Amino acid sequence: MAQGGHHGGGWSRWQAAGWVARRELLEFVRDRRTLVITLLLPMISYPILALSTTLGLRTGVMEAEARLAPTKVTVAVSGPDAQGFIARMRGMIDATEPADRKEWPAEAVFKEINVAIAQEAIDSGAADLWLHAERGMLAGLDADRTVSVTVQSSTMRPPTNAVRGQFLALMESFIEDARRRRIESAGLPGTVLDPLALKLAGDQPRGELPVGEIMNTVAGGVLVLLAVLTMTGAFYPAIDAIAGEKERGTIETLLIAPCSAHEIVLGKFLAVFAITLATLAANVTSITATTAVSLKLLAGNASQSLALTTAGGIAITLIVFIGLAAVGAALCLAVTTAAKSGKEAQNTLTPVILLVSALAGAALLPGMRSNRLLPAAPFVGHVLVSHAAFTAAEAEEATSIAWPLFLSLASSVAITWLLLRVTAVMLTDEDILFRGQDTAGPALARPSRRPLPTLVQGAIPPIMGLAALWYAQAFMPKDLLVAIPAQQAATVLLPLVVLLWWQRVDLRQTFSLRWPGRGDGLSAGMGLAGGALLGAGVFVIGAAALLAFRGDGLGPEAKALSERLVGLILSQPWWLSWLLIAVLPAVCEELLFRGWTLAAFAGSQRTAGRVAMAVLAQAFLFAVAHVLPERMPQTFALGAVLGWVTITTGSLLPAIVGHLVHNSMPLAVLFASDCPPDIVLEGGGGGLPGIDAAGIPTGAVLAAAASVIAGAVLIQAAARVR
Amino acid sequence: MIEVVDLVKDYRAGDGSVVHAVDRISFEVAAGETVGLLGANGAGKTTTLRVLATLLKPTSGTARVAGHDVVADPVGVRRHLGYVSATTGVADRLTPREIFTSFGRLHGLDRDATATRVERLLAGLDLASCADRPAGRLSSGQRQRVSLGRALVHDPPALVLDEPTNALDVLGARDLLAMLGQLRAEGHAILISTHRLHEIEHRCDRFVIVHMGRIVAAGTRDELVADGAGLEDAFFVAVSRRAF
Repeated sequence: MAQGGHHGGGWSRWQAAGWVARRELLEFVRDRRTLVITLLLPMISYPILALSTTLGLRTGVMEAEARLAPTKVTVAVSGPDAQGFIARMRGMIDATEPADRKEWPAEAVFKEINVAIAQEAIDSGAADLWLHAERGMLAGLDADRTVSVTVQSSTMRPPTNAVRGQFLALMESFIEDARRRRIESAGLPGTVLDPLALKLAGDQPRGELPVGEIMNTVAGGVLVLLAVLTMTGAFYPAIDAIAGEKERGTIETLLIAPCSAHEIVLGKFLAVFAITLATLAANVTSITATTAVSLKLLAGNASQSLALTTAGGIAITLIVFIGLAAVGAALCLAVTTAAKSGKEAQNTLTPVILLVSALAGAALLPGMRSNRLLPAAPFVGHVLVSHAAFTAAEAEEATSIAWPLFLSLASSVAITWLLLRVTAVMLTDEDILFRGQDTAGPALARPSRRPLPTLVQGAIPPIMGLAALWYAQAFMPKDLLVAIPAQQAATVLLPLVVLLWWQRVDLRQTFSLRWPGRGDGLSAGMGLAGGALLGAGVFVIGAAALLAFRGDGLGPEAKALSERLVGLILSQPWWLSWLLIAVLPAVCEELLFRGWTLAAFAGSQRTAGRVAMAVLAQAFLFAVAHVLPERMPQTFALGAVLGWVTITTGSLLPAIVGHLVHNSMPLAVLFASDCPPDIVLEGGGGGLPGIDAAGIPTGAVLAAAASVIAGAVLIQAAARVR
Repeated sequence: MIEVVDLVKDYRAGDGSVVHAVDRISFEVAAGETVGLLGANGAGKTTTLRVLATLLKPTSGTARVAGHDVVADPVGVRRHLGYVSATTGVADRLTPREIFTSFGRLHGLDRDATATRVERLLAGLDLASCADRPAGRLSSGQRQRVSLGRALVHDPPALVLDEPTNALDVLGARDLLAMLGQLRAEGHAILISTHRLHEIEHRCDRFVIVHMGRIVAAGTRDELVADGAGLEDAFFVAVSRRAF
């Protein structure tokens, strides 16, 4: 029982985490099938993507080049004025500077021909086109009437698009020449026809394929794919790291080692992160090699347009994606920690990967770059920042993304840290660690009655609500009088009712249906007043922050919603607007998020860590459910505050009052101010009618901060009475 | 070496009711002593041992290993405790040598001390011939010896084993129990839970019989077993009596 040979005080948590990571990596590299899927998949994905894209682009480029390549055009000219027409045409050609011969044929040959054999000439290919010059045609050109000329082509040997296009360009010049002659014969200068010489800098020459724009879109697509494939790099290692260990029964051996849950999670994270980085490296290698091949396939001008990015842009993209890899690895670990087996972890993680794909893809939507806070959002922000850097043609543009880059990195570190804390809490959660094995039952049988919904059941209604929101768009009436109740019913109440029918729970416990604190008048009053003060304060501070950070302008969706809400308020009695905008959402959304979801996430054995995790997770879902990116930071803050209020007071009522007051604020501002409706409409406020674009007075923000502090004190006081 | 005083562990069942998995249990295990924790399935044995291994937090009462409290100093407990359970697995893709080495280092042993300890364990547990073979290709007996070696790698003074012979055949169980006898002789305090009473009837110094979370009998074999009867008879008598 010798205890010798131990490390002294130098044995740090990093060393313990290092050994956990080393053990994890050793296990992972021995799992060859997973290794192949994780690292080899990217090596084949990009070539397949590039092959289809490049071939399509190459065909497009070849078509465009063929259309634009100067060619020889032979025109047979018949008729009495043929000779005169040909002479005038040749004269015009000789008098035109080469620089002005835009889109002309390389060589234009005009041959006089007998009308009897003209058709045969174009059918046999001796000429591309046949033009009949009627008697008086030249005289007509110099007079002030319009001369009609039909140019014939063969149905047997139709001219190519290049011949048609270049002949028409030549004829345009001929018509222009005739026009100038008319002006000059009338004694006016030729500049009469040129009132303005307009040149749009950087304009794409007409008819040229916009390869730059296409490649910009392709680069965006590649970055989204890179984000998703980098995430899949964390998929299997994360499942193996915790859920797999539970399935194999080896997790206990780690938990009884003399290191903390944080060290174990840190070690596992380092291993999963390392593999995710290796996946990222494999992806980037494949992209680089594939791009090199694509450049060879797209020879010429198009390949030059592909050289979009600078070295700085590539470096920034890599840095941003290291942040994405960290968030992805931590997210996968957190999600799989709640699972008992590898299969359960796969089932839970697959929708998460789909959600990440949707978030990454959302970065390519128009208007996303204007929001200055969005780079902080995971996955959307990563793709947004890297796309901006990746497609920055000039070095100066790359330096202008310093703020988004900082925001993205800072948020990646913060989110990763938060997720690892959550994982450590869940890893040692007795409910999760020692809950029974999965049991198979009839597919449609309802689960047995339980006091609270399970962790997974907590997340289902908000996800169902998001899906319902998408599908309901097609049927949603434009009139907000109907649309608001319909939306609340479809996206909040229906999913909640379905889950309540499916999983019978203790309603009082799940929805915290009791008075705050001890239930007497004093504690109830303090709880409800605290909720109200918090709701009002969070609204004003949130609106001020939104106005400070909204960037170039609001998204069109947010602006449209704001205008519709103000329209509703101004056109209806105040009580009806209040009912729709404040009361209905406050009751429905609080029942779902601070009732069902929070109760499920917090569970019955409430440790401080698990409660904190539950409050933040439900606030995240609450923010996502509000869809508009501009509103997410504010809704997240409101969700977190109301979650804390519910947990602290043990009652849902203060949260309902807080939400009610929060949503009533725009109405109050609108009715209290003498602001004419059109100014309010212009002000917008990001879905917050009544908030002027000029900003919120400092005094109001300070009053709001005082309101938040007073609200928090009252909530604490109400809880102490409990 | 192992002290359990008035230990209570409650948990909430799926229907919301509170279950008293362990209800005011007290016992101790001295150095060089083997104590058998006996009980039917669901008696509270595993919960007690998980509390001792710091995997579960007690609702009330205390549990100490080598003077370290499971709540106040869980890391101290883990440094002095080896834990093996029927559900404890071994990493299939690692070799016994890698498993022992990684846990030796996790327990803070330096490189040389770990190497020496690993060689001794491999020889002592008769694993030298398969030391570098992935554990997934070992027999169940060998895997259980790897599990025991992993628990012993930091040479803990106290050893807690939860139904360690469950997955073993007669020969494997016999080998494992013989090794435990050797460890007791070396001065380890051993707490072993099982419902296969015949295996440990003559190998334990004392027995603690638990039923529905409570101790219903405790003592040496001679104190518990009537003349001519066996430990199994004593167990039946104890669990059918009113718990005290």
